[in-house]
Amino acid sequence: MSTITDSMNTINSLEEMAEGDTIIHRLHPMVKLITTMLYLVLVISFNPYNITGLMVFAFYPVILMALAEIPYKPLLKRLLVALPFSFFAGLSNIIFNQQLALMIGPMPVSYGFISFTSIMVKTIFTVMAVLILIATTSLPKISYQLLSIKVPKIIVEQIMLTYRYISVLLEQVSNMYTAYILRAPASKGIKMKDMGIFVGQLLLKSFDRAESIYVAMKCRGYDGNYLYAKPSPIQKGDWLFLVLVSGILCLMRFFDLSLFIGSFL
Amino acid sequence: MLEIEKLNYAYPDGHQAIRDINLKIEEGESIALVGANGAGKSSLFKLIIGISEIKEGSIKVEELSVGKKTLKDIRRKVGMVFQNPDDQLFMTKVYDDIAFGPRNELLTEEEVETRVVNALEQLGITHLRDRMPHRLSGGEKRVIAIASVLAMNPRVILFDEPTSFLDPQARRNVINTLDSLKMTKIIATHDLDMALDICDRVIILHHGSVFADGTVKDILLDENLLSQCHLELPLCMQKPRVR
Amino acid sequence: MHMADALVSPAVGGIMLAASAGAIAYSAYKCKDDLDEKKIPLMGVMGAVIFAGQMINFTIPGTGSSGHIGGGILLAALLGPFPAFLTLTAVLLIQALFFADGGLLALGANIWNLGFYACLLVYPFVFKPIVKKALTPTRISVASVVSVILALTLGAISVVIQTLASGITELPMATFMGMMIPIHLAIGLVEGIVTGGILVFIYKMRPELLESSMDNKKLPKNLSIQKVLGVLLVFAIVVGGGLSLLASSNPDGLEWSMENVAGTAELETSGNAYDSAANIQESTAFLPDYGFKSTDGEGSAAGTSVSGIIGAGITLVLAGGTGYLIYAVKRRKEKTA
Repeated sequence: MSTITDSMNTINSLEEMAEGDTIIHRLHPMVKLITTMLYLVLVISFNPYNITGLMVFAFYPVILMALAEIPYKPLLKRLLVALPFSFFAGLSNIIFNQQLALMIGPMPVSYGFISFTSIMVKTIFTVMAVLILIATTSLPKISYQLLSIKVPKIIVEQIMLTYRYISVLLEQVSNMYTAYILRAPASKGIKMKDMGIFVGQLLLKSFDRAESIYVAMKCRGYDGNYLYAKPSPIQKGDWLFLVLVSGILCLMRFFDLSLFIGSFL
Repeated sequence: MLEIEKLNYAYPDGHQAIRDINLKIEEGESIALVGANGAGKSSLFKLIIGISEIKEGSIKVEELSVGKKTLKDIRRKVGMVFQNPDDQLFMTKVYDDIAFGPRNELLTEEEVETRVVNALEQLGITHLRDRMPHRLSGGEKRVIAIASVLAMNPRVILFDEPTSFLDPQARRNVINTLDSLKMTKIIATHDLDMALDICDRVIILHHGSVFADGTVKDILLDENLLSQCHLELPLCMQKPRVR
Repeated sequence: MHMADALVSPAVGGIMLAASAGAIAYSAYKCKDDLDEKKIPLMGVMGAVIFAGQMINFTIPGTGSSGHIGGGILLAALLGPFPAFLTLTAVLLIQALFFADGGLLALGANIWNLGFYACLLVYPFVFKPIVKKALTPTRISVASVVSVILALTLGAISVVIQTLASGITELPMATFMGMMIPIHLAIGLVEGIVTGGILVFIYKMRPELLESSMDNKKLPKNLSIQKVLGVLLVFAIVVGGGLSLLASSNPDGLEWSMENVAGTAELETSGNAYDSAANIQESTAFLPDYGFKSTDGEGSAAGTSVSGIIGAGITLVLAGGTGYLIYAVKRRKEKTA
């Protein structure tokens, strides 16, 4: 089924990107996590009518993608999937606020339209920033960092375990689904009345699997405590990147480049 | 080094899985444990590693008898490689997975690394060190599962169907890996050709008890004996049937 | 429904992150005490099951449309409330990172909307009491349907409140609620029936799997759990209701303070839009001094001049050009190397 293959492909391609070796990939994961969060906060802190100031923030994803040599196509594809909800949330603004803001030549532009644009631009920027983070830093690396910011260990374990078994389960579901559809060719999906058994079987198998995993862990001395290596320290270069990028981002927040350029026109 | 005496075991639902097994296994032996599905191979393994509780009879590993109090030490002596490597490898990095056992022994991180590196080198898979297990092939996962057990320096390793679901080349690779391990091995398998290749003793389980126990030649070439327990001659010993 | 980063304000995102972090910390603390170590791998696998299970489309009879399973109530019934909440948190984080479902700032809101209500509120206070008397297929089904509907509706109401409190959409509250709640009642009914079907199947095949999470062995502690949950409930109401009031009277704290500090807004308000911005009608506002409508010119009109918009276009082209340049330089280096 397409959603399953689709998500397998998405995960695969992002994982492959994260295996790259560029200046961005080599940065300390903590540094990337912090700059990403800062970027997100700054982007969404913009007033809904200020789209010119927002535009400067396009530099961040574009430059990072170029430096990290991330192909833009798969990221844009993912972005398209994320857009519709924002689109509808924003659409209402066009309907409910038709107050005239300005004229571009003969074309009237309403406040609603401006805030709509703002939502869409923010969506693009925030989604890209998160995708760039995961495309340059593998999930295990990010999870390790969570330990050092005092996220409870059990959560980190769960993230790692779930992540480990997603591909196994996706494959299992896709096989079961194919087997079902082959015997119910007219059906567009699993019939609702069969869902109990379908997912139920999946759950039973998974209980057994979890049991085996537990036994395998036990065999290697597990006693309820998961142990990890200490994450590597932040290097000088990482600090430099952090300070530099944070500084530039903050500067961008206060300096409206678009208006500056516009003032020469 | 491994002694099993008068072992009986029944599951809670009453199914008698093991019936009066007596076995003596010497240091360094390579044993194939064969038998039809449900003959009791997995049940026996579960008892040896102390996952199922022994109610009747005893199992001793190097004079240490398997029981609740000795579990920690038993599991250091006995390693087990599971049939499905996805059950065994649950970490997100190969290195961490192999390090899981040593870390549980509370070794320092340097000692852990030595163990991991040794295991990787011994099996010739150093290049897989930083990969994610779920992105590897079935054969690679099998070998890493073996490495994860090897890193615990066990005295005896139990293998559950080590060659199932593998393509011929990966299977050959796993067989060579098994052959290179010099500690005591007990391999539960349907792959009698592999048994012929790398084992020196074969034990047939049938309905929970030992049906036959002898050298590879004595057992694997005895067509009559094999067919009695729903097995057949190794493929390489069968007459070719080409149409 | 996942909230997206772009739809929350820093204040709302931050407060929801804090609220969810509190619930996570408490759950982790509870699990530390009385979690069977066996459950650790089980939780991980169940997280993956929910992740994969959500991609199974099933056909809804008579409608021609399709649905998919949620997970909160299902997980809670199989793992118990606290482990279920932690498991769902892990799933939501992975979805946020890989699928841009939600985002990192909105993660707190999503954990709260999709996990907290189902696992920590509805399950212990609605689902469990219904099946406590007798674990029968009928009771399991009824409990599932009621619980899922309730959890989803609570989640939907939260989405509305969080979105409005963030001052992102200009949809009046009544309209927004009127859109969200009926949809989620319907989704909840379908999802509840399916969840019930799954749980009844498990109950018939391996009843011990359900009961083990049902018969909280540490029941003497139940009183304290309820107390804490009561506190959390009050907190939820405070967060939901109080926060929206707070946020709407000061639409965007960070924005406001930044403009103050930087003092750039004045420079940019020379555009012709300034005046019109000042007398925006208040008729559509759901609260008199809500969000957009009360922006006193500060920043709101910034950049809504034509020259500003052209400047924005040039900025974008510049950004794109920079990226292209880096690509080009890198490629050239590779060739020469």
